Order: sequence, then C-alpha cells, then structure tokens
Amino acid sequence: MKAVALDGIVLGLQFGLLGVGMTLIYGLGGVLNLAYGQAAVLAAMVVAITLTAGAPALVATAAGLLAAAAGGVVIDRTLMLPVYHQRGEHRVLLGLLLTLGVAFVIDGLLLWRYPTGALRLEIGGEAVPILGVRMRVGSLLASGISLVVGAILLLFFRATTMGRAARSVIQDEVGARLVGINPAAVRTFIFALSGALAGLVAVTRSMTSPVSVTAGFDFTILALIVAVVGGLGSVAGAFLAGVLLGIVSTVSAFYIGQYITTIVLLAATALTIVMRPRGLLGR
Amino acid sequence: MLEASGLSAGYLGENVVEGVNVQVAAGQAVAVIGSNGAGKTTLFRALCGMLPVSAGRVRFDGEDITGRPAHRVARAGLAYVPAERHLFPGMSVRENLLLGAYPGRPDPSAFELVLDLFPRLEERRKQPAGSLSGGEQQMLAVGRALMSRPRLLMLDEPTTGLAPKLARSAYEALQALKETGVTLLVAEQQVPLALSLADRGYVLETGRIRLEGASEDLERNPEVRRAYLGVA
Repeated sequence: MKAVALDGIVLGLQFGLLGVGMTLIYGLGGVLNLAYGQAAVLAAMVVAITLTAGAPALVATAAGLLAAAAGGVVIDRTLMLPVYHQRGEHRVLLGLLLTLGVAFVIDGLLLWRYPTGALRLEIGGEAVPILGVRMRVGSLLASGISLVVGAILLLFFRATTMGRAARSVIQDEVGARLVGINPAAVRTFIFALSGALAGLVAVTRSMTSPVSVTAGFDFTILALIVAVVGGLGSVAGAFLAGVLLGIVSTVSAFYIGQYITTIVLLAATALTIVMRPRGLLGR
Repeated sequence: MLEASGLSAGYLGENVVEGVNVQVAAGQAVAVIGSNGAGKTTLFRALCGMLPVSAGRVRFDGEDITGRPAHRVARAGLAYVPAERHLFPGMSVRENLLLGAYPGRPDPSAFELVLDLFPRLEERRKQPAGSLSGGEQQMLAVGRALMSRPRLLMLDEPTTGLAPKLARSAYEALQALKETGVTLLVAEQQVPLALSLADRGYVLETGRIRLEGASEDLERNPEVRRAYLGVA
C-alpha cells in the first residue's frame, strides 16, 4: 500500500506540473489549449532526436523545452490573435477549435516524420529505499525535478513582480492595464512557460516509461482533468489536484486494473465538478 | 497638463461623446459633472486609452497620447481609477499596492503618502482586497493608483456605492491629496461635493460639454442650480 501511495505521489507531482501549464493559459487567455499535449510530444521528439545526434541529456532537454516554449509563443502571437478579440463564449469556442486544429497538424506532422518515435530516458542504477519502499532512481529524479520546479513556480507567482503581474491579469485584466501591465506581453510569457512545462513533464515521464509520438491527446486530457479539478486559474490548486489524482490513478491501477484507471480518474473528476464546480481551490 | 480637443469616442461605431474639449492645468482639481449616461465614463476611458478615440486628440504633458494603449498611458503618469475599481480581489491589500508601482519597486514615500491618507489600509494590509468594505475598496483603488506617483489622477465617481458620510470623507481625502500637489480630474454625479473640491468644472450633457467655468461660477449658474443642485 505504501509503495502504491509513493508511486502515486511520483506520478501526481508530474500531473501537477502538467495541470499548471494548462490552468495558467486558461486563467490568462480564457483559452483551453487543446494542443497542450502536442507541446509535450514535440519536446519529447526534439529531445530524442538531439540525444540520437549525440548531445548530452541536459543539452537535449534544454533544446526540447526551448522548442516547446517557442511553439507556445508562435501560437500565441499568430493563431490566438483573433481569439483575444472575442469575448466570453465566442472566445472559449474559437480557442478550442483553433487549438484543436493545431493539435491535429502537429500530431500529423510528427506521425508522418517519426511514425515510431518515442523518448526513453532510462535512468539506471540500483533502487533506493525510501520509507522502506524500494524506489527506482528514475522515479526519484522525476519527483525531485517536479518538486523543485513546482516550488520555484509557487515562489515566482507569490513573490516576484512578474509573477504578481501574471496573477493580476488572471484576476482582473482591466485592473492590470490600469497599473501599467501589458496583458499581451504577460500572455506571451505564460504561453512560453506553459510549453516548457509540458515539455518538462514529457521528459520526466520518459524517465520511468517511454513517451511515444502518439501521446499528445493523453497529455492534454490529463492536463484538462487536473486543471478542472484544481480550479481553473489556480496554480496551487493544480498541484494539489495533480497529487490527489496521481494517487487515485495508481491505487486504482493496482487494486482494480490498469484498464480501468481512466474511468476512475474521469469519475473522480466528475464527482469534483458536481460537488465543487469551481474546483478544489477555484475562486 | 491634460488637453483633449475635439474628442469623440463611443462603442460599436456610435459616438457617446462628441467634440469634447477639456483642459486640466497642473496642480488644479477639475470636475466633470453630469447625470447618469451623460458620457462621463466614456470620456474618461477615451482619455486614458482604455477606449479607442474616433476623432480628436489627447495631449498629456505636451505629448500626444491619442491611441496609446492604456498600460503605456498609465506608465507615463496618468492614473485612472474607474468607478468599478478593478482591484485584484484574491490578492492582499499590500500586494495590490505593490502592483500599483509596476514595473518599478515601490517608492517608500509613496507608501507613506498612501498610508497617511488611508490609515485603514495599514490595518487591513494582509487581507484580500475582495474582503474589504466598499469604502475601503475605494481607498485601496486610489491608493494603488497613487503608488506609481502619477502626475494626474483621474477618478470616475469615487463616491459610487458609498454612504453620504463616507462620500464626504472620501472628498476630504481628495482635498488632502490635492494639497500635496497631485493634479485631479474627477467625474461626479454628486455635484455639490465635486464643486467643493474642484477649481474648475465642466457640465457634460448627452456627450457634449454644455457649460464650463470656475466652480464658484457654476455653483451660481441658474441652470446648474436647477438641474444638479436641487434648487428650484
């Protein structure tokens, strides 16, 4: 049981980071980014290719994250422009359709070029005992990275001018403009950050299991679930929801079966939405 | 300091204000008075770049700021406090004030000025802005605007939603602020309050300037007395 719970936390921390990238874009731009998982896969493929070319793992990872971040910026500055001119329902709908289109295009291109592409960052070494449970080094590294990046993110949004500016745009865009913040610049920055986060999760996932070229929509759906359960727009909420759902996911995989985890996850999400429509920490 | 000439602006291609000329000299307090729907908010939004201008020009400190986006107008030293306040409800009073100084670090003297003017904000500094009373939110909105040390402060209906006693103390605070040398432009329906603060005033009716002049002259004007001061 302890081993299952620890595995759940390992998975959950990564779910959390994945959810943060999705929740931020929604909070800032009113867009549910359906191409989010493709950013993760794009990063994974860039890392895999640079690794094959002989680059060290850190350099390859940096290249992957940069590629995903750049993809985010390009989408924000081109396709999303008509979305930002819309308000309310039209904005959400147009955002969904355009990002879905982007997702199909990226998926199609990657599948065409790299039909069997996958990223495997097998991290070797002896299993390490943690709280009496033998944990794989890959799991520990993935968790460590997720924890550190999560802590940096929380600190960034609480205690830096840029982080506060981003939160202010989420809370009241007009108010942000009144104090001299350019919401468009903040949005572009957050799109880049979101892309990099998706890429990072792809990299940490690949430390324990391969990330294949077809994983895009799985990442997107997972990110959506985590963001909705945590409360759209809430960074801390996404982390909390990520960890909880990670535990739910491994527990149900262990005691019921792998085939049923998606159903259990979706049921947990549905239950949260019914009981707390704004999510765990939503405003 | 601020000069609008022939200014027209509105929504969906329809002008709400038309051909408006407004001038505010440095150190003055100027009131724009008018009833609900006269176009005061539209005029203010057009002045500070929140709303596109369809005709005319706006000059601030000798510079043409027509069509400049609102965040750049704010950074140039023209602060606008809308009637809806637009605070950051989930952030503490302190964080709201810190963001007022964006993108710079807050100036300690600006903090002092704001807390001197509104000691209540000091008591409430850790509370989320969304939990404050209406009067405190208005104080915070003005305080946040002052954190950037603006040269011109524009206030749209600062007494919205305030009880008469609070409305009077809001104007006492504005009077104190005026004495520190900040230039003020205030839109107001509560005409006696506005004219007691202002040196000069404009009367806006259906999007056009009907009257303008020194506050004392407006107070004596029979039309103003009948329409806005409740004197038969």
